[in-house]
Amino acid sequence: MTRLPRRLVLLAVAALTTTACATGSTASTTAELVRYAAVGSAATASNDPHGGLGNESDALRFALLYDVLTVAGPDGTTAPRLATAWEPDSTLTRWTITLRTDATFADGRKVRAADALFSLRRMQSKAAENYGRMAMFDLDASRALDESTVELRTRSPFAAVPEALQSATFVVPEGTSDFSSPPPGSGPYRMTGGDPANAALERNDAWWGPKPPTKRIEIRAVADPQARADAVRSGQADVAGSVSPTAAAQAESAGVQVLRRPAVTTYPVVMRLDQAPFDKPEVREAVKLATDRKQLTDTVFGAYGKVGNDLLTPGDPTSPRLPERNRDLDRARALMAQAGYAGGTSVTLHTTTAYPGMDSTATLLSAQLAEIGLKVAVQVDPPESFWTKTYAQAGFYVSYLGGIGFLDVSRIALRAASPTNETAWKNPSWERDLDAALAEPDAAKRAGALGALQTAVRDEGGYLVWGVGDGLDLARAGVSGLPTGPGFARLFIDQVRITA
Amino acid sequence: MSAAASLARAGGVVLARATATAVVVSAAVFAAVSALPSDAADTRTGGRASAETLAQLRETLGLDAPLWQRWGRWTTTILNGDWGRSLVTDRPVVDLVAPRLQATAVLTAVAVALAVPLALALALAAGTTRPRSARRWAAFATAGAAVPQTVVVAVLVVVLSGLLSWLPPLSLLPPGGSPAGRPDLLVLPALALALPAAAWAGGLLGGAVADAWSAPHVRDAVARGVTGWRLRTRHVLPFVLSPAIRAVAVVTAGTATSAAVVETMLGYQGLGELLVTAVAGRDTPVVAAVGLIGALVVVAGTALADLAAAVVEVRRDHR
Repeated sequence: MTRLPRRLVLLAVAALTTTACATGSTASTTAELVRYAAVGSAATASNDPHGGLGNESDALRFALLYDVLTVAGPDGTTAPRLATAWEPDSTLTRWTITLRTDATFADGRKVRAADALFSLRRMQSKAAENYGRMAMFDLDASRALDESTVELRTRSPFAAVPEALQSATFVVPEGTSDFSSPPPGSGPYRMTGGDPANAALERNDAWWGPKPPTKRIEIRAVADPQARADAVRSGQADVAGSVSPTAAAQAESAGVQVLRRPAVTTYPVVMRLDQAPFDKPEVREAVKLATDRKQLTDTVFGAYGKVGNDLLTPGDPTSPRLPERNRDLDRARALMAQAGYAGGTSVTLHTTTAYPGMDSTATLLSAQLAEIGLKVAVQVDPPESFWTKTYAQAGFYVSYLGGIGFLDVSRIALRAASPTNETAWKNPSWERDLDAALAEPDAAKRAGALGALQTAVRDEGGYLVWGVGDGLDLARAGVSGLPTGPGFARLFIDQVRITA
Repeated sequence: MSAAASLARAGGVVLARATATAVVVSAAVFAAVSALPSDAADTRTGGRASAETLAQLRETLGLDAPLWQRWGRWTTTILNGDWGRSLVTDRPVVDLVAPRLQATAVLTAVAVALAVPLALALALAAGTTRPRSARRWAAFATAGAAVPQTVVVAVLVVVLSGLLSWLPPLSLLPPGGSPAGRPDLLVLPALALALPAAAWAGGLLGGAVADAWSAPHVRDAVARGVTGWRLRTRHVLPFVLSPAIRAVAVVTAGTATSAAVVETMLGYQGLGELLVTAVAGRDTPVVAAVGLIGALVVVAGTALADLAAAVVEVRRDHR
């Protein structure tokens, strides 16, 4: 064997080292894999993107596997996704939606207008599970005009169509009827292994959108919030969705990132307008004035919340800015007397342990309201029966709202015919104003009118919103690109990356 | 009676026992789940549907039929070799159960493999030492068996993961759910299952060992100068083998049921975790499927233990 010249060997070694360093450095800038521990349970994990989306782990996966029509943009505007343009006619009942032409399903078929319409119709047929998300549309009268144009009809003049098509409108191929395995999607990722409770996804390099920086994402359903937090703290997961304020504080001191999604969690206290003593507006106002909002917020949300102003959807872009309500016990007592309860009265406040802090809300409030003569007996119902036996039925209870917008809340809880009109808010003139606001083509005017409607519910309605908690996610150092917007905006994690 | 006939008869008994267990367990599951507040229709709608849509959904899901009819319908599908569909997600039950069956089977097997030698060692210690230390061992076994499963898990996590950093605090299996190749994820849940089971079985068998220890043939052997390990394995163990095999069967069954707690606490994707969440969602077909598998494992285990014990007794008596 001939000896290689020493210099050549050195050069070769140098070259090898450089390439090794180069590949080493690209590998160390962006990790190949992101592991997400999300809220969800084994038995409710599903492949059906048109149902209730009760499992956060499913919703996150659907947002990676399927394209949606529109998404929430910055400042509460609507941004295009699969839909690139939307134009109403002059009556606001007939909308022309233009879709992109470069989206393809995993099986190679092009995404067509017929697929989008089919998916919306399927959502409507599952209205019982998705809280009637498509209720404003007359989808039987809607049609696909051509391969990339849908004509959507609304039941009445409706200006908020782009918002109504946001985030949950997952498009599957027309005619899909078997959801026992995931139907092909056209989104930024594809499912390559695992099952709905623990899925492995890989980047779809044929996606039309901005290239996701991470090659593989694993999404796992972990039911226990403490286990999700532990998974990130021990390095077994990179991101944990929705942890408790206590777990967030612990993690923060251990050097884990805490991502705050502002104004996501509220535990509104429901006072039914058709049951004594809350049928009297003075009593409702007295309760709102007697509540020590700061004490409740500090105890329940810790450093991750703000005092509430009885606005149900403070994260909604149309939520009005109003002066805060200050505690005024004298005025509250006077109002009680005015309502005929000078000597006080007794009520039962129902609560449950479904979300952290619901039970302490009730006990604290009970002590606070005693000061105006309201003797509050707290009853903690088991989480299994709370949503079916207490929720939307009891006269006085601690409820839960998870950051949905005013459009959704007004539909499910504030119309006379709403399935869960929990406060018995039945106000025909308010509903007429709501319909008028939804038919207002001018965005600024519409926002103003919707704001006024929210103010009315705040002042006259049966909701005490004493505080607003942040949605809290944990992420290991180096994780970036996670969304922090309100509502379903949190689901779009296709730009997540870990940089070392 | 010929050997073949008695074997056929024993097989018939096992089959009858399995059938009876399957009938009783599935009927009990249907009755228990429907006795709980709320149902699968409530789970699907999250409490936000009108009475009318709920009624419609119940009709679609067949939840409007009386209990015995629902059970009858489910039995028919099972007899046709179909596990049915989940009431909550419409997914085929077999898709939910099959991937987790392996994870739980591996976990249970490892736990039993750890528990059996531990239990035998404990039984020998409790049954063959001087009365004072025997009492101490027996007390240790009783106390160990009485510690709640949740406490065992918590203590093991604190010690093995928190203080010593030897193991990850959670047993999160990779997508696909196979524990093969990840022994580090099996140690915590297997130990958590094995320790209380070993304490229970050790305490139980300690008595049998003590009886055998004072038997005439053992005293003979001691008089002949046999001591130590040889005395224990040759002269004591054969007499406790048949109760030991039965105890192992019970331990296996017990492990399969405590797996629900351990799996849920450690995030291990097995049948136990599925069972707990399926009960919470009132998903009767899933609960019944998991319950049925558990019950049949118990029946099969008991049958095997009976068979093994019979063989052991025959061999010992003919020696």
